[in-house]
Amino acid sequence: MTASPTPTDAPPLPWTCPFCALLCDGVALARGETLELRGSDCPKARQALAQQPADTAAATPTIDGRAASLDEALDAAARLLAGATLPLFAGLATDVAGIRSLYALASARDAILDHLLGDAIMASVRPLQDRGVYYTTLAEVRTRADLIVCFGTRPAERYPEFFRRIAPGEPRRREIVFVGTDTDPAAAGPDTELEAVPFAGDAFDTLALLNALAADRALAAPPPGPLAGLAARLQAARYAVIVWEPGASGAQGALVGEAINRLVGTLNARTRAASLALGGSQGGYTANQVVTWLSGLPLRTGLFRDGLRHDPWALATARVLAGRNADLLLWVSSFDPSATPPAADLPTIILGHAAMPPVAGAPQVFIPVATPGIGAAGHLFRLDGGVVVPLVQARDDGLPTVAAIAGAIAQRLAAPASGAGS
Amino acid sequence: MSTLRLRGGRLYDPAHGIDGEVCDLGVRDGRIVALHENEPVDREHDVSGMIVMAGGIDLHSHIGGGKVNLARLLLPEDHRPAPRTDNPLELASCGACTPGTLATGYRYAEMGYTAAFEPAMALSNARHAHMEMGDTPILDHGAYVMLGNDELLLEMLAEGGDPALVRDYVGWAINAARAMGVKVVNPGGISAFKFNQRKLDVDEPHVQHRVTPRQVVHALARALTELAVPHPLHIHASNLGVAGNIASTLATIDALEGLRGHLTHVQFHSYGTEGPHKFSSAALALVEAVNAHPNVSIDVGQIIFGQTVTASGDTMTQIRNAALGSPRKWVGADIECDAGCGLVPFRYRDQSYVNALQWVIGLEIFLLANDPWRVVLTTDHPNGGPFTSYPHLIRLLMDKSFRDEQLARLHPEVAAHAALREIRRELTLYEIAIMTRAAPARLLGLADRGHLGVGAAADIAVYREDADREYMFRTPEYVFKDGELVARQGRIVATPVGGTHFVEPGFDGAIEQRIARYAEHHHALDFRNAAIGRDELCTCANGGQLLVTPCAVHGTNGT
Ligand code: SF4
Ligand SMILES: [Zn+2]
Ligand SMILES: [Zn+2]
Repeated sequence: MTASPTPTDAPPLPWTCPFCALLCDGVALARGETLELRGSDCPKARQALAQQPADTAAATPTIDGRAASLDEALDAAARLLAGATLPLFAGLATDVAGIRSLYALASARDAILDHLLGDAIMASVRPLQDRGVYYTTLAEVRTRADLIVCFGTRPAERYPEFFRRIAPGEPRRREIVFVGTDTDPAAAGPDTELEAVPFAGDAFDTLALLNALAADRALAAPPPGPLAGLAARLQAARYAVIVWEPGASGAQGALVGEAINRLVGTLNARTRAASLALGGSQGGYTANQVVTWLSGLPLRTGLFRDGLRHDPWALATARVLAGRNADLLLWVSSFDPSATPPAADLPTIILGHAAMPPVAGAPQVFIPVATPGIGAAGHLFRLDGGVVVPLVQARDDGLPTVAAIAGAIAQRLAAPASGAGS
Repeated sequence: MSTLRLRGGRLYDPAHGIDGEVCDLGVRDGRIVALHENEPVDREHDVSGMIVMAGGIDLHSHIGGGKVNLARLLLPEDHRPAPRTDNPLELASCGACTPGTLATGYRYAEMGYTAAFEPAMALSNARHAHMEMGDTPILDHGAYVMLGNDELLLEMLAEGGDPALVRDYVGWAINAARAMGVKVVNPGGISAFKFNQRKLDVDEPHVQHRVTPRQVVHALARALTELAVPHPLHIHASNLGVAGNIASTLATIDALEGLRGHLTHVQFHSYGTEGPHKFSSAALALVEAVNAHPNVSIDVGQIIFGQTVTASGDTMTQIRNAALGSPRKWVGADIECDAGCGLVPFRYRDQSYVNALQWVIGLEIFLLANDPWRVVLTTDHPNGGPFTSYPHLIRLLMDKSFRDEQLARLHPEVAAHAALREIRRELTLYEIAIMTRAAPARLLGLADRGHLGVGAAADIAVYREDADREYMFRTPEYVFKDGELVARQGRIVATPVGGTHFVEPGFDGAIEQRIARYAEHHHALDFRNAAIGRDELCTCANGGQLLVTPCAVHGTNGT
């Protein structure tokens, strides 16, 4: 399993970065002993690339901490799964092919499905399920937005290339307003005005005020000037976009989302507006999309024998584990070596990043897998929902894909008598 | 090599004028062949007394892509209760009006359908749409890419719309999205709504580009004609759902100037303004126009009473409909400078005057149109109702007394005055076979589907004769996909991956420079990733067969 290094003088590979849900695809990768990003200074991508082991030969499967062959590990994983009655498939940080393959396994074993960013994903799904949403996508923001309100977030902190990705292609005046944070210099650009507007109280109070002002409702007390000014500009904008970050909006993120959606709805009665929820990294939106289309229900659904059940609260990984409502954990994490499984006193199967540190404790099978976009091609959903971006293989590191591993385990489960492979 | 014989069935194969002839049907390696009656076969089924048709083809059903998946997300209540079947071949999947893709494939196949076409694939969402369709088991599938609200085309038309430029762009887009055809949705209107225009008549200019829907429709129809794409322009006309929109629909037919066009879900576009409610049936006017224009085909978009969700690219319309939604919530989106998306849950009520009349209008269109080859049976799944209601719809069309019983239950003014009461026609099995198989295959240019002739794919549905046509069409005795038995008496017995239908019209590659330049300034995806390659399509579509329909001028052989 040795990576075959490409000579450094080979031209950089046009590449899609898989390390956050922006999925920048206008960049390239120089491939030598290490992988180096070209066309962007994104610190997040650089750090992730630096974590890719130069030599994956050391990354072998383990069973209870002891090195094992892939076949032994697959057999052991199949045995653990065959013995489980309430498996939890969590993490789910993989690509479309990975989720497709895991779903067949989950269906056969009546598993619960959740993602490692499940809380954040549910914070955007729940307001949609309750009241609905009007959203927009990157190209629309780029082409149309004259007022961008970053509500309670500085997007470039977790999505470093965000402002470059939404920069207009031709000179166009626009305003970017940060509500509840300082302005972010990363947002600066020609014809761009930056402004910060403080919260009036907390996020909820602020949104309540903005909603009242946007709807021209009478207020008990005069609102703070900057907020009233912002409301007036929202009403006057040709196309206002409210950017928020479900994963950074606290435990009540879903309520923030609901208030933002209401604000957008009010504005859309007279002018044009839309929201954009930042999230879905580590294959989060991918897992949610694929599970939704296959099953009919989003993540945090159990494919139980007596029926499918979706419960965004009770079927969260942490709650399932705390309530001892699972007897096996299958943890999938192929992008970030630090995304290790939560502590659980359960038999655990890990399909993990090759650089993931060993996890102590319960009986365990670890199988290192390729990172989509590094060791394998693949597809991921971008953070604005509907755009699927193809990933290319950066190098052949000899690691199997999640799809291949899940398929091999499913085959063993379907033919239990066949015993160990060759 | 494997062979199969269906012995003694009554064949309905309108493509060959066969109307209930008793005849054996032979299959070898997934294709229909002529077998000598004594030739030994691997499997033989005695289907004497049963009705044999080609597998059903749904040419307009929202089965895959961002919009459909948002509808699933929006309506978890549609998926409750969600029992699992006891069939180990079926993976867990649930839902009624927008089932998961797996359930969609199983339920269609159980009903004798073997292909379905997603009508509203956004160019920017094409990979996603092909993925969902690839995860819809058993069915072959394909999609129409939405054009006519993409800013680049509108820009080209605003510059004068050089037909060669438009043709090459449309050709590029079809290839890039791996589409089977092109759908235009509220021509120009989805884009106009992004500029806050709330209404757009056929001859009204787009507030920004100053282009009219008439120009958009004509330019696209002309491009498809020049590209020799078999499926005519699929048109969701202006002013969907608005009282009096028959005027827009007739103007849209006029805009074609004799070029081929397929008007979709025409029920939603056949409304007058007469009567006390200023809402009336214009079915007769629509049908007269269709009868008079052999270049025009239609599908109906029949409504079915009960809960559903309307899923459309037509944001301009859906923001208006949102207030009528039930439950009261909706999703809208502006998408990548090429599309929009609007989802409004809806409950059609038989005691609502408007809904009752919509039901009547759909049936009137089916029953008044005189050429079944230009009429396709659809409910615009899920917009008018879920595809699982097709057997019920077929019974309404074939059974006058059943229809009258249903009509009598509707809103009293509709029940008392509808012209439908006087329509005696009952569609025959032959006509149903046209509207559900032969006509959609012909309109799509599928030479080897939708019929039972030698060389056709052995997609076959066998029904046990029953006077209750709903019962009969709900549970065929046997369903074969490419010669493989996939459903038996309503139970799935095999789940092959379906194939992807698409076309590859030729175009002048020089257009790519213009598109790349536009993408660089407006899009958020590198132009390198704009088009789906064949290998990538295969991956997206889950490894199913790639089924290319040749583009060729009628009467000549394609290459
Ligand atoms: S912003 Fe995200 S996708 Fe873009 S280069 Fe950085 S980590 Fe990669
Ligand atoms: Zn439509
Ligand atoms: Zn439709």
